[in-house]
Amino acid sequence: MTFSHRAGYVNPRLGTYFGIFISAFAAIGLLSLIFEGLGAPRSALQLAMLLGPLVLYVAIGLAAFTREPLDYFASGRRVPAFYTGLVISQTAMGATGLVGITGALFLIGFDALCLVIGGLAGFVLMAVLLAPFFRKFGAFTLPTYLGRRFDSVALRLTAGGLLAVPMLLMLAAELQMGAYAASWLFDQSRGASLLLLVLAILLTLGAGGMRSLSYSSAAQCIASLLALLVPVSIVAVVLTNLPLPQLTSGTVLRLVGRGEAAQGLPIILPPALAFDMPGEGLSAIGKRYSDAFGSVGPVAFVIVMMSTLAGVASAPWLLPRVAATPGVYEARKSLGWATLLFGIVMMTAASVAIFMRDYLMDIVTVPGQVRFPDWLEVLKDLGVLSIVNDANGRPTLSGFSVERDAVLFSLPIAAELPAAALYLTAGGIIAAALATAGSLTNALGNVLAEDVVFGLSWLPEQPAQRLLVSRFTLGVAAAVGGAIAYIAPTDPLNLMFWALSLTAAASFPVLVLSIWWKRLNAFGALAGMATGFGLTVLTIIAGEAGWTGVDSALAGAIGLPAAFVAAMSVTIATPAPGRHVLELVRDIRVPGGEILYDREMRFLRRQKNQRS
Amino acid sequence: MIERKERKPYWRHTKWQMLASLVPFLAVIIVLPLYADRLNANKFLGFPLGYFLALHGLVLIAVITVASFVNRQDAIDHWHGAHEDS
Repeated sequence: MTFSHRAGYVNPRLGTYFGIFISAFAAIGLLSLIFEGLGAPRSALQLAMLLGPLVLYVAIGLAAFTREPLDYFASGRRVPAFYTGLVISQTAMGATGLVGITGALFLIGFDALCLVIGGLAGFVLMAVLLAPFFRKFGAFTLPTYLGRRFDSVALRLTAGGLLAVPMLLMLAAELQMGAYAASWLFDQSRGASLLLLVLAILLTLGAGGMRSLSYSSAAQCIASLLALLVPVSIVAVVLTNLPLPQLTSGTVLRLVGRGEAAQGLPIILPPALAFDMPGEGLSAIGKRYSDAFGSVGPVAFVIVMMSTLAGVASAPWLLPRVAATPGVYEARKSLGWATLLFGIVMMTAASVAIFMRDYLMDIVTVPGQVRFPDWLEVLKDLGVLSIVNDANGRPTLSGFSVERDAVLFSLPIAAELPAAALYLTAGGIIAAALATAGSLTNALGNVLAEDVVFGLSWLPEQPAQRLLVSRFTLGVAAAVGGAIAYIAPTDPLNLMFWALSLTAAASFPVLVLSIWWKRLNAFGALAGMATGFGLTVLTIIAGEAGWTGVDSALAGAIGLPAAFVAAMSVTIATPAPGRHVLELVRDIRVPGGEILYDREMRFLRRQKNQRS
Repeated sequence: MIERKERKPYWRHTKWQMLASLVPFLAVIIVLPLYADRLNANKFLGFPLGYFLALHGLVLIAVITVASFVNRQDAIDHWHGAHEDS
């Protein structure tokens, strides 16, 4: 049978299947609401919200079992643009981004937008500079693409080794954030939560690799989107009469702004390179919400924006998704969906921050005797909020300290919604963490199998052996990620900053040049990756040790331009690439025609047959 | 399938489209936050204008940038015969 590689291959029942999933997820939410009203024990509801969706994800993953390498590594190249975009938007920064950015927006307001703008711009750059070409090439992993593009095994192995580091950091961050969200549902130790998450990921992905991942993480992303939007929209109706928190939070913000001025919250002028992102634990509200640059200096703002942008655009766990779309046109379109959905999620996160500030503002601006509402006592008992009164014995806004990661979970409590809303939020964050950690595990496992274990030979192994090794390395990747998450109790947001800076410096310059500058050769690519990675690691270590006085999150500022310079200068000093490689680059640039990875493999197989 | 002599004009066209999509966008995302404080004196929908533009405005600009890029680049592909067979 001959067939074109595009339309007609998308499963027409996909919408029905996800409709069933949404109904089932909504049923879990509504049933826990009903049983809460009937007085069912809280632990039963929590367990239902934790395990119910998990069973659904695992079932989707198992149903996508496959023995075909194309299905296992690229989901048969039949994931539609919308689902790809949905998953890319949610897994670029994952649960860490969602929870951490909401908390940071609450605590430092405008300054946290550097991450939001960076993520948005990352999708735009990915759509224009990288995604269509990566899809045309059709490689399953980033190191395979680089190795084949430069015809260099050394580059393939180096890229595999270097890119594994940011992926592991991000995986650890996601698992930690998932375990944190699980702690709102699950009264077990952190280790038990991590183990549960790792097991869920392995059960979901083991059967079908990328195929399981595509559909289960689409379901997880729908769940996390619903779990974010529904409670916040209800709060928006309560506060502003309209279920559009993204736009109606403006009227609330006006009141918050007046209150902040009346409370005398300081206007801070930070040094240009200051980067005072709130860390783990309790942080005080030190700054007016909509004032620019109080905790983050203007130069640091632009640097973090740029390194987030480059890190997201070239993320080795996002680009393989693009290879699973039906065509180059769909690859571009999926990034449009990703931009739109990421924007909606981030505007919702910002309205969560504004609503939470408003709830606290309502307490401190009451004239006369201050009375603390019940929910404040609940939050204090949970240890996520503390109050220091001023000299007159009155609480002030700057006297509140709130745990950064708890802000998103505090909104349903502060709005006095039923406990089911809180469980829904926690379930959504777990879903986002599973989707992102799953993406990372799958990408890392495939890099280990394809580019490290089989990295020395270009010709793929027999399908059975290839998939066996890939499933094994999937387990290895999940286990190592879980172990790092367990033994390294670092702030997940910091891990994400490091992961994005490392990706930005190690892969973005080489990837962009590999398409837009055909003169780039293997030596230049190697030099660019090694320089970018090495310098960024050194800057992170120096920043953490306090030698430079600059926060380690700004490490991309040196590594990213240095990698560009190193790649270009070494390329010019070494011989130009051969005819075959130049011809390959010309083909990458044209959307039409055969998928290049398939063509290359066919050539290799023919060469081998002729020799033998 | 694209003809051989069409490759150069196709790539020139693509490069200009890339610049047209990215240069204004990057200029806006770098410059706008730096002037947000001054814009904050005005209000829109209750939001301070600088904050509103830096969040809602940039989301809108990013979506429009990608949408117009997808549309234009597809037209370029078809013009030069570089598109995928459907």
